[in-house]
Amino acid sequence: MSMKQSLNSISFNITDGIGHIELIRPPANLMTSEFFTEFNDLVDDLRASKGLNAIIISSRGRHFSTGADLEELLEMVASEGEKTDKVKENDLMTISERNYRSFLFFEQTEIPVIAAIRGVCLGSAFELALFCHFRFCAEDAIFGLPEATYNLIPGLGGIRETVSLCGQAKTLELILRGNTFGAEEALQNHLVDRIVPKRKVVEFSMGFARKIMKNYKKQKVSLYLQQIALNDPFFN
Amino acid sequence: MTNKKIIDEIGILTLENPPQNYLTRPDFIPVAELAEWIDHNHLKALVITGSGRHFSGGANLDSIFALVENGKEIENQIEKGKDLLDYIQDLDIPVVAAISGVCFGGGLEVALACHIRICSDTSLFAFPETNYNLVPGLGGIYRLDERVSLKDSLKMILGGDMINAEEALSLKIVDTVLQNEDPLEYTLNFLRKITEGRQLKVINFVMQALKNARRLPVEESMREETRMFCDLARIEWTRRKKENY
Repeated sequence: MSMKQSLNSISFNITDGIGHIELIRPPANLMTSEFFTEFNDLVDDLRASKGLNAIIISSRGRHFSTGADLEELLEMVASEGEKTDKVKENDLMTISERNYRSFLFFEQTEIPVIAAIRGVCLGSAFELALFCHFRFCAEDAIFGLPEATYNLIPGLGGIRETVSLCGQAKTLELILRGNTFGAEEALQNHLVDRIVPKRKVVEFSMGFARKIMKNYKKQKVSLYLQQIALNDPFFN
Repeated sequence: MTNKKIIDEIGILTLENPPQNYLTRPDFIPVAELAEWIDHNHLKALVITGSGRHFSGGANLDSIFALVENGKEIENQIEKGKDLLDYIQDLDIPVVAAISGVCFGGGLEVALACHIRICSDTSLFAFPETNYNLVPGLGGIYRLDERVSLKDSLKMILGGDMINAEEALSLKIVDTVLQNEDPLEYTLNFLRKITEGRQLKVINFVMQALKNARRLPVEESMREETRMFCDLARIEWTRRKKENY
């Protein structure tokens, strides 16, 4: 597949048929409108691409991402009133729809998609990770959907994804309370699949991708997860 | 037959017919009365619990047969009871059943209509209806079937077997089993923790999103989630603008 040049917020590389998406604006790797524009274009390319066997999403620096840029979102709302119907394609709803469609691509694609998470993974960044088929994280990972503490809710499918992984009671608690929680708690609530030493998260994800991508069947995700939980020797 | 109380914007609806808190009518509180109470007080969450040691032993046979004697009255009342449980399940605020002791038949149907079930380790659950040549009549069969395998549904409903709290947890009929803690106190603490400082609209939207996740196709439920997010972003922006003036 062809790649657009001069991206500021993400990079994309292919090694051995494994596509590696990296967020490259450390330390926060904030998901700005520039990020989403580049990200959505990349997803369009991925949709059209043939020959990829797996996708890994990770971040440069100590943290995965602190999520969307709230101030920027609110500014977008502020400018809505000044717009005519003709520029409606730039309103928050239209832009957000494009964003969640990109997220949904990762859930729906037939090749394995793995989120490799270190450090902080909050809000929309956590939503993105939830759309991946597998989530591997470092011991120091910190998760949360803090939207409610800003009088908002997760808006890119995070509620739907969370409830499918950890049920209604836990979802209500995580989302309404909006507190952060660590790797162990995420593992207990099935929000991540494996905790890996911090320096090895990407390496582990690559190895896992290589191991499963040849005969990957998305319908069998739960079987792979059982293997992971059983400490299959490969995964150690 | 019910008692209503409000603590910290959380409504507590107590089934009040001790010791077993039998439901003398399927609609143990009229929908209109419950709705008025919740709306008027802007409740952020609802707890349903039983007075004293038990949640509820369900309907008692005598009151069912009294309704049968009355011709069509049984159909009318069962319909009202189902409407009540549908209303409870559809509420846009979290509804938690705080259960101790017996939770049988109609009582279990009430608990299954709640969003979350929290029980003491000595709680007992059963659908004993078939032992009396009846079936659960308030939608409990469907609500149980949504949660457990067909095999376990049949065992509980046709077998009429009683199960304890641990078994109920492993079947995912309850969400939490408490050791030596009072279910109502625990539930109130839990609900305080998740509703304190939260705007009612945020709570309502989260509840709607959870409902949508169950009922709508993926694309539609995500669009709704995004639409609600945008609504809240507009409200928040307006609020901040006012604050700055």
